[in-house]
Amino acid sequence: MISLSDYNHAHTAHSLAVSVKDLGLTYTTSIDKKPTLKARLKSLGRGKKFTRTVRALSDVSIDVHYGTVLGIIGSNGAGKSSLMRVISGIVPPTQGRVEVFGSVSTLLALGVGFNPAMTGRDNVYLGGLAAGMSRHEIDANFQAIAEFSELGEAIDAPMRTYSSGMYARLAFSVAAVVEPDILIIDEALSTGDAKFKEKSLNRIKELRTADRALILVSHALATIEDICNEVIWLNNGKLMARGKPTEVIAAYREFVDARKSASSDEDV
Amino acid sequence: MDKPVVIYEPFRAGLPPMRPYLRSLWARRTFISEFSRSELREQNYGSLFGQLWLILNPLLLSGVYFLLINVIGGRSDSARFAHLTASLFLFYLIANSLTGGVKAITSGQRLILNTSFPRIMLPISATVVALFRFAPTLVVFLGIHVMLGLPYSWQMLWALPIILIAIVMSLGMAILISCINVYFRDISSMLPYLTRSLLYLSPILYEAVHMSHRIKKFEIANPIFYLLDSWSRVVVHAEAPSAKGLIHASVFAISIFTVGTYFFLSRERDFAVRL
Repeated sequence: MISLSDYNHAHTAHSLAVSVKDLGLTYTTSIDKKPTLKARLKSLGRGKKFTRTVRALSDVSIDVHYGTVLGIIGSNGAGKSSLMRVISGIVPPTQGRVEVFGSVSTLLALGVGFNPAMTGRDNVYLGGLAAGMSRHEIDANFQAIAEFSELGEAIDAPMRTYSSGMYARLAFSVAAVVEPDILIIDEALSTGDAKFKEKSLNRIKELRTADRALILVSHALATIEDICNEVIWLNNGKLMARGKPTEVIAAYREFVDARKSASSDEDV
Repeated sequence: MDKPVVIYEPFRAGLPPMRPYLRSLWARRTFISEFSRSELREQNYGSLFGQLWLILNPLLLSGVYFLLINVIGGRSDSARFAHLTASLFLFYLIANSLTGGVKAITSGQRLILNTSFPRIMLPISATVVALFRFAPTLVVFLGIHVMLGLPYSWQMLWALPIILIAIVMSLGMAILISCINVYFRDISSMLPYLTRSLLYLSPILYEAVHMSHRIKKFEIANPIFYLLDSWSRVVVHAEAPSAKGLIHASVFAISIFTVGTYFFLSRERDFAVRL
């Protein structure tokens, strides 16, 4: 299990940050939103299924080098978030191998916020400690996190009183201020107001250094094109293309347009 | 080329590699103490007496039972009052651990879906919170013991291993129930009835010596029966616990802890897709 404290030193540009080989991910999840004993008992003897198997990723192989800002695009359910979770060690792969060569900070869909009844400050500390940072490291970064989030006194209010924008601001600040070797951000740039969005983008641009690797998942293709120097396109859990942002995004747009026109033909 | 810091590969059913897991757990020990402090702060957030409730709660609880036995019951049975409060305080260590543990994983959803860490930290933290709530009750009971003029002896040192057994049992129960709740969410709704049944089936409102042998033989199935009986003998009557009582409690505590931990560790990598 990786942590920020485990490994944090300078990496040479172009050395390997993340290696993903023949990655496959199949998981079993319950059909019901909340699996209950009652539902399980009711299904006994009826042959009714209470779980379903999802093939989220198939034979995905990618290498991410230091100095790279990798964008991941694809439609909903393409496997983008699943890939991020496997790289972050949150979900184990069912096939293949992932090697990570540095400390990872993640800002995935749900962001920070362990317990909404606790204050923003408590949640920042708990999230950081769970990620493997020491109390001293969090103390050293806390002021910068609080300032970047622009929450002011609200940092000491319970998180249940936060708006979704405040949540997003704090989540981004935690992930982006700690300066990890590898930063993974999943669709977090689309939240917050325009001013904070711009601030986040500028922060990401600042983090683009030769000894860091950034992996961004976003539906905002213009942002991906602007920030990234490499893009991969996933569809139905498979790697469709990898290369320069302009080329991959053009191919993806063409694919989406073709699908749209096919479905509109069906309507006629 | 650098050596990878971490490698993620498919896993088979069973335990994760224990050495890196325990190292990772140890590295995050500060989380457990920080979580417990935040949880206690949050529980008393905005209340008039704040953290003083940790002492006020057991004091009021013993006050209620004093009212029940000495005022309403009309008996000045000091040993019975001491037995009731001492047993209830230890029982609450186990009950609070279960209550905190049941939702430890499901309420940690955001953290689990965003960060890689040993998930067992969450039920352990729930038990530490229960332990923080239990510690002041020992002080309150000591006060009751002095006020009632109950006997003292060296045999009371048996309280230490009994507390240790109770902690192992609480931890095992919290770990087990937190994992079960991921798969069957109605366990959290059933828990109040489960703890209430345990309360009535255990020697708390009555003493074990007053039970009929016919009923008592079934108590071998109750994991906390002999633990509470031993506790009462030691801290109320200043007697040594029975060997049978200690063995029964230890076997149950170790079994629940072992089964719960194995079940949890072999399943925890599945939690992120089950939440």
